[in-house]
This record gives sequence, C-alpha cells and structure tokens, in this order.
Amino acid sequence: MTGTTQPPAVRMEGITKRFGDVVANDAVDFTLERGSVHALLGENGSGKTTLMSVLYGLYEKDDGDVFVDGERRAFDSPRDAMDAGIGMIHQHFQLVEPMTVLQNVILGHEPTDGGLVDESSARERVVDICRRYDFDVDRYLDTPVRDLDLGARQRVEIVKSLYRGADVLVFDEPTAVLTPQEVDRLVDVMNELTAAGRSLVFITHKLDEALAVADEVTVLRDGEVIGTVDAADTTEQQLARMMVGREVLTERRPRERDPGPPRLVAEGLHVDGDRSREQVTDVDLTVHEGEILGLAGVQGNGQTELVEAITGQRSVSAGRIRFDGEDITGTSRRRRIRAGIAYVPEDRQTEGLVQEYDLVRNALLGNQTVGQFVTRRFVDWPAVRDHAEAIVTEYDVQPPTPDARAGSLSGGNQQKFIVGREIEHDPDVMVAAHPTRGVDIGSIEFIHDRLVALRETGLAVLLVSSKLEEIRALSDRIAVMYEGEFIDVVDPDDVTDEDLGLLMAGRRLDAESRAGSETDAAEDEVES
Amino acid sequence: MSGATLETGERTRLLVGGVLVVVAIAVLSTTVFDLPVADILTVGFVERLLQAASPIALAAIGGLYAEKSGVFNIGLEGFMIFGAVTAASVTFLLGGEGPNQADLWVGILGATVVCTLFAFAFAVLLVRYQANQIVAGLAVWFVGLGFGPFLAVLLWGNRNSPGLTSMNDLTVPVLSELPVVGPLLFDTSPLVWLAALVAVAAWVVLFRTKYGYWIQAAGENPEALDTAGIDVARVRYAAVVFSGAMAGLGGAVLMAHAGSFTGTGDTMVNGRGWIAIVAYLFGNYNPIGAAAAALLFGGLDMLQIQFQTAGIELPNRLVNLFPYVAVVVVLTVWGSTRMPSAVGEHYESEE
Amino acid sequence: MSADDSGGIRDLLDRAAARALDLTVLERLALAAASTVLALCIGLVVVAAAGYDPVAFLANVFEGSFGDASATARTLKFTTVLVLTGVAVAIAFRAGVFNIGVQGQFVVGGFVTVVTILWLAPMLPASPAAGVVLMVLGTFAAVVAAGLYAALPGVLKAYAGANEIITTIMLNFVATGVVGYLVEGPFRGEGNRAPNTARLPEYVSLPRVVFENPDFSVVGFAVALLVVALVAVLMVRTTVGYDMVTSGYQQAAATYSGVDAKRTIVTTMTLSGMVAGVAGAVFAIMIQGYYSDPAGIGTYGFDAIAVSLLAANNPLGVVPASLLFGGLDSAGSYISINSDVPVQLIDGIVGLVVLFVAAPELFRMAARRTGLGGEER
Repeated sequence: MTGTTQPPAVRMEGITKRFGDVVANDAVDFTLERGSVHALLGENGSGKTTLMSVLYGLYEKDDGDVFVDGERRAFDSPRDAMDAGIGMIHQHFQLVEPMTVLQNVILGHEPTDGGLVDESSARERVVDICRRYDFDVDRYLDTPVRDLDLGARQRVEIVKSLYRGADVLVFDEPTAVLTPQEVDRLVDVMNELTAAGRSLVFITHKLDEALAVADEVTVLRDGEVIGTVDAADTTEQQLARMMVGREVLTERRPRERDPGPPRLVAEGLHVDGDRSREQVTDVDLTVHEGEILGLAGVQGNGQTELVEAITGQRSVSAGRIRFDGEDITGTSRRRRIRAGIAYVPEDRQTEGLVQEYDLVRNALLGNQTVGQFVTRRFVDWPAVRDHAEAIVTEYDVQPPTPDARAGSLSGGNQQKFIVGREIEHDPDVMVAAHPTRGVDIGSIEFIHDRLVALRETGLAVLLVSSKLEEIRALSDRIAVMYEGEFIDVVDPDDVTDEDLGLLMAGRRLDAESRAGSETDAAEDEVES
Repeated sequence: MSGATLETGERTRLLVGGVLVVVAIAVLSTTVFDLPVADILTVGFVERLLQAASPIALAAIGGLYAEKSGVFNIGLEGFMIFGAVTAASVTFLLGGEGPNQADLWVGILGATVVCTLFAFAFAVLLVRYQANQIVAGLAVWFVGLGFGPFLAVLLWGNRNSPGLTSMNDLTVPVLSELPVVGPLLFDTSPLVWLAALVAVAAWVVLFRTKYGYWIQAAGENPEALDTAGIDVARVRYAAVVFSGAMAGLGGAVLMAHAGSFTGTGDTMVNGRGWIAIVAYLFGNYNPIGAAAAALLFGGLDMLQIQFQTAGIELPNRLVNLFPYVAVVVVLTVWGSTRMPSAVGEHYESEE
Repeated sequence: MSADDSGGIRDLLDRAAARALDLTVLERLALAAASTVLALCIGLVVVAAAGYDPVAFLANVFEGSFGDASATARTLKFTTVLVLTGVAVAIAFRAGVFNIGVQGQFVVGGFVTVVTILWLAPMLPASPAAGVVLMVLGTFAAVVAAGLYAALPGVLKAYAGANEIITTIMLNFVATGVVGYLVEGPFRGEGNRAPNTARLPEYVSLPRVVFENPDFSVVGFAVALLVVALVAVLMVRTTVGYDMVTSGYQQAAATYSGVDAKRTIVTTMTLSGMVAGVAGAVFAIMIQGYYSDPAGIGTYGFDAIAVSLLAANNPLGVVPASLLFGGLDSAGSYISINSDVPVQLIDGIVGLVVLFVAAPELFRMAARRTGLGGEER
C-alpha cells in the first residue's frame, strides 16, 4: 500500500498551533499515504481536529510545514485547500438545510448559463460522481437536506467534496451521529473511495473503529503524537494505553444490596420531539430504590425526549409517569424538583449552568423554591453562597472559589459542580444524562463514585449514556433504546458488548443468548 | 425550481390566509356595520391600493434579502424616511416649488443612491463591527426621525415640504381602454410597475442564480458557505446595502405618489417600514409573497378614502390604525414563520 | 416546526441580550462617553454644513443642559421621566424580552391617569389631601392600564409566537392613534380649542421644592428613584427577578431550573408596562397637568431604549444614563428657543448615540488600533 516511488498524499512536519497559552498541536508529524485510510486517534481535546483544520486552511499554523503530493504548500483558506484537492467532512455538516441536495453540492461552484444557475449540467456531473462510487445520493438530489437522515447527509458531504475535486478527504468523527448500520455503510463508502485512489484521514476517539477501518493509526495526546502504528499490528488495549497514558479500567460496580420497591415508574409513554414527530413510543420503565437503571442507545433514539418527559421539561402525548405511586404526568418541572427528582442535564453548557453567572448564582439554579435559600420569594444570598462553597469544596471544583464565572470553568469542573448541586438537593431520584461526557478521566471516576454512592444510600438512579463501558460498569439493569422504543431490558452480567451493540442497532437477541435477562424483563412487565 | 417547490406549500397557506382575512373583513363589515362593499371595492380603490402597496413591497423585498443573508435589518423604517426626505429635497433643489417629472425621477434616483451609501455605513457597523442588529436598526429609525425633519426644516423652514409634484400615470394607448384591467395596469403610476418588476427580479435572483444561493446559505449556515470558499461578509454586505437601497427607493416612491414630504409626527413613512418587515414574514421570505402581503396592507391603508367616498362615518384617526392592528393579528395567527437559522449571528471566518 | 421557529427568535434575542450585558462597568462608561462624543461630533459637522456656527451650538448644548438652575431643573424634568421609562425597558431587556412598546404603554398610562383623576375629582372635596389621594389613585389606574396594555403583546408572544418587537411597535402606533382620537373627540375638555383634555384641578400637583420650575418637582424625581430601588431589589434579591434574569441570559437553563418560560414572558412584559404606567402618570401629573395628542408629547419611551442599553439594562445604571439623555433633551428645548438650529437635530444626535452604543466593537477596535485599549478581552 505504501508507494515508495510516489510521494505521500499529505505530509505534515513539526506542526505547532497555539491558541493563546494553550498549545493545541506541539510539533506534530503526520503522513498520509496515497490510497490509504489513516486514523487520527485521541480523546476530545487532544488536537486531532486542530491538526486537520491546519491542513484544511481553517487555522494558520504557528510552525511547521505541509506537503501535498510532495510539494510544500500553505493554505490561507478552505478554498485554497479545496483547490489543492483537499476536502473535509466536518462533524457538524456544512449543509444548508432548506436548500436541496443538488444546490448544496454545487454551492460556491455553481455552473451558470446566461446568469442563471445551470442545474441540468450540474446534475449530470453529480450523477456521474454518484455512479462512479456507487453512491445513492443521485436518488434524492431535489430533496431539501433537512428531510434527510444523518447518514444520507454525510454522503451528501462526501459527494460535495468529490464534486469540488477532492483527492484527500478528511472525516472528522464521522461515526458520532450514525447508527451502526450507517457506520457499516460508511465503511463501504470509504473502501470505494480508497479503491479509486483517494486518500482518507479518519478522525476518531473510538478504538474499535480506528482498528476496523484504518491502515495506519496515529495517536495524539495533549497535542503531541504518541505514536503511529500499523492497524494490523496493534490491539485495542495498546491503543487505549497510548490514548490515555494508562489502562482504562472499567470495572463492574455491582450493587451491594437488593433493590427496594419501585420509585419511578413510566407506563406506555409516548413523547413527541421538537418537530412534533414521535420520539418515544410506548415505553415502560421502572427504577427501584437502590438501583441504577442504565439507558443505552445510539444518540438520537429518543433518550433525550424520554429524560425530558420524566424530569418535566417536555409534555407527554400519552401514558403515565408515577413517582412513589403518585401520578406526576402533568405536573410542572418545578413541582418535580420539589418532589425530589434531581437531574444532571445532558447539555451542561446551555441547561445546567448559566455561563455568565458565578457559581453562587448558579447554586440557586433549580433551588429557587428551597426553603433553606428562599423565604417568601426573597433570596438569602449568604446562605446560597455557603451552599456553593460547600459544593466547591466537597466536589473538588477548580478553581476552588464560588466567585468564579461558570463559563470560565473547564468541562469537568462544570460537571462536578452540577453533579454536586443536584446531589445536594437531597433527592429521591437522580436522573443523570451523559454525566461524564467530555469530562477528564479523574472527574469521570469521581462522578462514577458519587453515582454508586447514591445508589447505596437507596436512591433510584436513571443513568443515560452513550458510552457502553460506563453503562456496563454502573448499571444494575440496562434498557436499550432504539427508535424510541425499549428494544430490551437486560442484566449487564448476561450480555456481551456485542449483544449490546446488536440491540443498539435494533436487532433483538435470539432466545438462548439472553436466557438470563428474560426474567428481568418479565419482572419489569409485571411491575408496570 | 427547488426554491419554488420548497415554498409551494407555504405560499398556498399564505394565499389562503390572506384571502380569508380579506373575506372575513368584508363579511364582517357588511354584516356588522352594514357597509356597502360594492362602493368600497372600486377600480379607483384598487389603483390606490397598488400605489400604497408599492413602497411597502420595495422595502419588504430589501428587508427580506438582508434577513435571508442572516442580518435582521430592522432599520427599514429609518431608511424609508431618508429615502422620502432625500427624494423631496433633490426634487425641490432641481425644480423649486414647481418641479417637473424629470426632476422627480432624478429625486427618486438620488434618494436611492443616498440610501445605498447610508446602508453601506450601516452594513459596516453590523457586519464588521458586529453591532447589535436590533438596537442599531432602531437607532437608524431614530436618526431618520431626527435628521429627516431636520433637513426639511433647513430647506423649507417647516417639517413638511411644500406641494412638489406627484408621479404622473403612465398611459398605454389602446390597452388602457380595457375595462377594469386597463386603468389598473395600463393607466397607472410607473412606480407600481417598478415595484412589480423588482419583486419578480428579486425572486429570480434569490432562487435561480448563484448569488441567491449564496444569500440563502449565508443566512442558514454561513460556515457552509465559507467552507465553499465564498466570503460570507461580502454576501451580507451586498444584501444589507441592497435592503437599504430598496427601503430608500420605497420611501422615495411613497413621496413621489404623495407629491410632497410630511415630517410631522412619525413622518409620512409612519410605520410602513415596520409593516414591510411583517409583509415579508407573512410572505414567508418569498419576494413575490412579500409583494402580495404588501397589497393587503396597502389596501387597509387606503380604506379610509373608500369609507369616506362610501359615506361611512368613522373617525380617520381610527381607520388609519387598521394596518397596524392587521399586523398584530397577522403575527398572532401567523406567528411562527421559520427564520433563517443564522439570523443575528455574527460570522467570523476562522482565518 | 413552530417550536423551532420561536427557538430561532428566542436565540436571536438571547444573543442580543447577552451581548448587551457583555461589558464591564468601566467599558460601559467609556462606551457611553465615546458614543456621545462621536455623535456630537457628527452633529457639529452637520450644523457646520448647514451653515450654522458649531461652536455656538456646542455652547448652547452645555448651557441648555446644565448651564444654570433652570436648565438643571429642565434636565431633571426630562431625566425623571427617562429614569422611569428606562427602568421599564431595562426590566424587559434584562429578561430577554424586547419591549419596544414602552412609548405606547407610557401614553396609555398617562392618559388613564388624567381621565381617572378628572372622573374622581368631583367626588372629593377640593383639598391638598384629596389631591394626594387622586394622584395615588390616578397612578394606580395608570399602572393597571399600562400593565395590561403591555401584557397583551407578552401573551401574544408567549402563546402565539408573535414577535414582540413588531407587535409592541404596532401597539405604539395604536396607542397614539386611539388616545389621539379620544383627546380630539370624546375626552376633549369643554371649550378647548386645542385637542386636549380638561386640566387637572390645581390641587392635584406635586409640590415645588428646591427648583422653581413649574414642570419639575423633586418629589417626582424621588418617586422615580424609589421605583429604581424597588426594581433593583426585585431583580437582585427575589426569585421572581432571578427567574427573569436567568431567562434573559439563558432560556434553556431557566427552563431546566423550573421556570415557566411563557409565564415569565408575560410577567416580564406586565412588570415593564406597569413601570411605564408610573412614567406616564408622573409625566401627566408633574409635567403636563392635562393630556394632549400623544403624537406631540415626546419620545420618552423610545429614548428609554437608549438609556437602558447605555445602562447595560441595569436599573441602577439607568439613573446616570437618563441624566445624559435628559441633558440632551433639555439642550434641545433650549436650542429651539435660543437658536436657529432646527431642534430635530438633537433627536438625530440621540439616534446616533444609540447607533454607536449598539456597536461597542467599533470603539474597541479603534482603541486597539490607536494603542489606547488596555483591556484585551
């Protein structure tokens, strides 16, 4: 695969990029061989995307050289990069939703005829590209992008790059938004592309995907290259060690006592999403005292809507929600907070914290009706400050001062503050949505410890996460959501990662492979 | 074609909605107030309606372009005031108190040019200096409310201009003899034709040319446009400057139809710039739809004269409020139009 | 689709509000000074271009605003009303609701005050005590009426998604038109040649203390400051204020914390309108003593937007900001009497101040370029 006579498609040498005091890339070397897939592996913030943005002309490098086809190049803008045959498939698709697929593909490169856009010649070229790579994009050229699912949008992005003559394609976390089937499809597409001589960069933080797709893997950590290895000669364990600097232990944390009676129960729940399309279909759910129920699934399969319905931020279209036997289906968010349902929200930036507030004022968020802080609608700010100080100390929030502006904290510290605030509510039920997303490893363990401790004190915990290892490590039962439904409820000890993967892809397990979990599910139905 | 198919459903809704409103008003007025509708819906009324709608339509199309590109230009009202006062001033400076049609045309042209320049300065504040679009737009209105009458007082010693001249009808021989259609289309102000022409041209440019694609992309996903190698700032500059020019032209047309400038109260523009914003919302960001919505508001604006000629006793002051009330009703019934998703967001290229 | 749409508008407002609040106090002062100076400079250029003496004009601006006791009283007269309308705007903007309708609410409040007092006056003996009772009742009526008039666009926004910027502007026109019609016809004072209501009884007036100006009373100014203090306490010390301000900063966070977004919009608009009602009452009682065609009473409700923005939508900051604009208005009155320069120029300059206040980045870049900007943010 490595052509010795041909120069590599892209070679980057000693690339350094700083943002203020932060060094995002520190003398990074990277080589992409022609006709191959090269994975850039690393945790969030390790500098993968920055490196590729330098290549794509989005960022100006502070130091180093870029060679394309053996020639030294410097790109001032994506347009320059594009002209040199480099395309990027961004994580957030660069598509204009109300415009059609065809219009999106040709945007900025429209053929014209007498001043008007010549759609028929554009169409010919696009259809041509689709035929060559066996893409299905030509079947929905006149559909507005907003009507496409994410997998199709991604293929539109790829066609767009090819239309612009891309020879090198950079995929930024392309699988993050895809269902497992769509991932399979993407792998096929990537194979078609390399077979036709295109060279691909695959940015990811998922070990298994890097191994499955790539020919070579370069691991980045804190802006530095840890190493480049042949995918054929390495293991997930080795890559993981390179990524985090130590073995990741995802030890099972089974409960130490039997669960108590059901506390939070949902029956036949139907919930609509933002576009009044049903996102949750006929879900039955029970969380017992002293139990963590894990909610697994690929993002976008209704978890968000289900959680919002339970916490009172979204109304249900059918079904009941009970808390300690009392029907709370129609009650407001505020009443549910008072009833003891704590919630670590999915989006800490926009929901969990007011970025412009200091931690004192953020400590009141969600506590506006708590007697300890408020008497007859007057806020006792000194009491709130004491509370904020206690959270900061207890949960090891850095910087250790309640006067810090929330927006100035790192993601992990923001999350610790939110977890602390919600736990200090003294709740009966904890709903934690992606509590460790984008959080550093130290904070992840801390937050896991807290959640387990909550369970041991008898709380009912509903844990939503798209990280399988987190779900497996903490949950006592796992409910898998697919297209708005609970496809199964399983015991983590009875299923393998592969089983969970199948469930998340919407495939039910056959009878023998899930003998153990059957009882659990049945039990669940009896209770609800 | 996609632009059209995309919006077909919305346009049908618009038309149905608009027709329903008109019918409802007509039915309500005949039954409740016992109004002689036949006396109101005269050819003369439709002619006046078209004239009253033209300035609103022009400003609406301008505002629509700006908003499509991601900039909420709520300064339309201010630009209209500048357009009206400049058109009157230029006409007066050329022809004194008895200007001819050529002076008036030059006045209209001058107003458009001056507003283009002002709009450029405004665009620099919005796009380059990231001014708060809502506040800056309001400020343009205040500046217009101040400097418009100021200029009038300087020139004429009064907030109002003396009677200048109004635009003559353009009479097409033979065709103007046709019943109904003749006087409406072939014996009417050429500025009505101008407005119609602008509406059609604006539609073609927006949905059929690459510049239109760029404008839409700049308002929906500027990053997509940027990564396609098109300078978002330049597209937005162009759209904002165009919006100011069209609003200015709208103000000039308003003045040309009235024949003089009025600077008392909120000036002769008197909220038409705001109504223009609602017109393009109501027209669902489609230039033709915006022009159609302008007809509705133009009609309400002219009802007062019809009421008088039909012998209906209603205080002018109250009848004049119809368009404003209609705007509130339209927004309430029609509240949720989909704004371009990047409106109000400053876009900075990463370079 | 609809949730999405109101979300779009919401976001826009959130962003605008966040930007408006994004400055430190020092920067805010510098911005106010720079905007005013730049606007005045442009005004002077226009004055010179129009053939007047810019130096004399500038002198008139200073004399007319704070030159002597009577100028100061006149400035404070404008300031009093601007403080109240400014606070009304600040409440709404702080909560992320763009109430541009303070002018209309102010008109409704003032008119209702006059009508209420004229209606009740015959029922009470003519005495200073009755005057106080009438003023309190009139103000109360204004607060109710203006609050309701503001609640209307609030309800339309919350429950029908109608953009409040446009509905409130339309309701300004409606208020001016309807009140204008009423004072012209049904409520015109007997024998009045001008379209005005009857005068309020002599004993319905605020006492003259310190200043001799018949249109200004320190008591009125004190009422304005009292309202400022009340609103400041409401915003900072109560959960109502916390909910409103949190909604203004970050709607999603407010919803997460149990704030009912729709109800908060209505509450915010109502509170804002109530304060505008007080402004209307003070204007009617202290300044006019009757009610006239609102087309000609001055744009306190619009200037209030400039005031509030300059004050970063902070109720306390509204006081100094009102002094600035009150001074400009006062200079305008002075100039209209003592100079040939058309007074509309002052309105234009106020507009320019607002324009520049909206673009802090302009001055930040200028400061950076000239090397004056210490604060690199």
